[in-house]
Amino acid sequence: MRNMAVMIELEVRRLRHDWAELYGRAIQPLLWLGVFGPIMSTIRAIPTGGVPYIDFITPGVLLQSVTFVSIHYGINIVWERESGILKKLLVIPGPRYSIVIGRAMASGLRAIFQSLIILPVALLIGVRFVPNPLYFVLAIVVIFLISGGFASFSILIASFMKTRERFMGIGQSLSFPLLFTSNALYPLSIMPPPLQFIARLNPMSYVVNAVRGLTITGDISNLAVDLLAVGIFDVAMFVAASISFKRVIE
Amino acid sequence: MQNADFAVDVQGLSKVYDGKVRALDGVDLKIEAGNVFALLGPNGAGKTTLMRILTTQIKPSSGKASVFGCDVVRGESSVRRLVSYVPQEIGVWTDITGYENLLIYSKLYAIPSDKRRKTIDEVLGIVGLWDVANSIVKTYSGGMIRRLELASAMLTSPKIMFLDEPTIGLDPSARKAVWERLWSFRKERGTTIFYNTHYMDEADQYSDMIGIINRGRVVTVGTAESLKDSIGKDMIVFSLQNHSAADIPMERITALDSVYGASVEGSELSVLVRDTESSLPSTVKVLFEAGVAIEKISVAKPTLDQVFASYAGPQAEKRDGVRQVRAVRRLIRRG
Repeated sequence: MRNMAVMIELEVRRLRHDWAELYGRAIQPLLWLGVFGPIMSTIRAIPTGGVPYIDFITPGVLLQSVTFVSIHYGINIVWERESGILKKLLVIPGPRYSIVIGRAMASGLRAIFQSLIILPVALLIGVRFVPNPLYFVLAIVVIFLISGGFASFSILIASFMKTRERFMGIGQSLSFPLLFTSNALYPLSIMPPPLQFIARLNPMSYVVNAVRGLTITGDISNLAVDLLAVGIFDVAMFVAASISFKRVIE
Repeated sequence: MQNADFAVDVQGLSKVYDGKVRALDGVDLKIEAGNVFALLGPNGAGKTTLMRILTTQIKPSSGKASVFGCDVVRGESSVRRLVSYVPQEIGVWTDITGYENLLIYSKLYAIPSDKRRKTIDEVLGIVGLWDVANSIVKTYSGGMIRRLELASAMLTSPKIMFLDEPTIGLDPSARKAVWERLWSFRKERGTTIFYNTHYMDEADQYSDMIGIINRGRVVTVGTAESLKDSIGKDMIVFSLQNHSAADIPMERITALDSVYGASVEGSELSVLVRDTESSLPSTVKVLFEAGVAIEKISVAKPTLDQVFASYAGPQAEKRDGVRQVRAVRRLIRRG
């Protein structure tokens, strides 16, 4: 437990020395909200259940950026293997999974900061959020958890990659399929059936649904299912990443 | 028997990577507590693999190893409480300050919060990084980074420190600085130090015992002196005044006890002896009696380089196929 907390503290300290990266990573989501959203909303072709299109995609855009950050986290692990840090961490007392999960949680922290940059801008653009602080806090928790899950997923993939460059390629190509095969930009109902099937297996759909319910529509009738899906995904990824971590070591 | 009297006790240790590459092939090694032990060996000889097994990072394929009596497999967590480790590559985060690195490590090592500051200040003092503690590590020189890594390994006052090529890539003055700091830490705390290196002069100067590893086996262990003695033949070179080879009583010289051989080249007579101290007087006497005038005498003692070459060097170069070298490197890098 302590090791996990220390990993999160490490992340805060790194962020404090380099805010530029956070801002840099916020550019892409802001393009979605500032350019893609307004243009798409003029055609009114997508059934959003009565909310403006920009509002509809805000949770998805937010989560896409969070996913991107989390998946990039695997690069950190590959980098730390190339450097000596990982080897050193292996020699500290305490269970090894605490390092894996700690790193994944640290990614969640980064995700929260990322959200805190994007949200005010969304407000400025005119997105109307549900004015309920409790819902809002819950949404942040969901974002934190899914980021941890995706970071573990990324560590899992990283354990199969030998170099950072190779991982970069894979990492880049993962976040968009996750976005497009989910309900982030359009509702499930307008997807072709095979894609709907994939979307139902995509953890992204459940988080987007949860965060959208909590922050935009206020409809949380599906929240329990969504949270369960996120929980299952997280646990599965934590376990898989901890096991695959052995590959990273040897 | 695994013996707690030894800081490191290794018996018949082997490690095979992926069922193919035999990185260690039956290593036997004992290191006494409080010693500074240098493990010398060519690239790919198994130095890093041995160190990673002793620090519980990877498991041996067969054989036994213990650190202060704790088995590295069964007593994994006890071993980790005794050791600290500095990898060959950079083992600190470069995007935070030196102080923050030590703070993070001190928390990971579970140093109580009321002692943390004092401990960090202490090790910063030992490695001489006081003035730059609050700068980002990226701005440090190679030698400073190394000293920061040593500092992080000193935090827990470990019983034994494992250092993998502690001065690789450093210039001579940075190397000297690293060793001076390390030496004073060791003197103060009595820490056992086990390090890998391929710098002979370093092993010669900064060690109590030296081991030579080649092709996965520790081929010899001893003090720098005893190793030199083991191949130890001194070469005495006499520069002679105006003498032809015929004047030199070669039979009488080679007949001397403790003389292994002699040869003449131009006006130089080279005599190979067991040790100069006892052979020089008798050799000079023979030359004197034969009326050979000596202009100058010089003595060449064996160096650790020669020791190394005789135990490891030529074999390693001849026998290692490129493929094997590549495979080993790849595995080591991946680890």
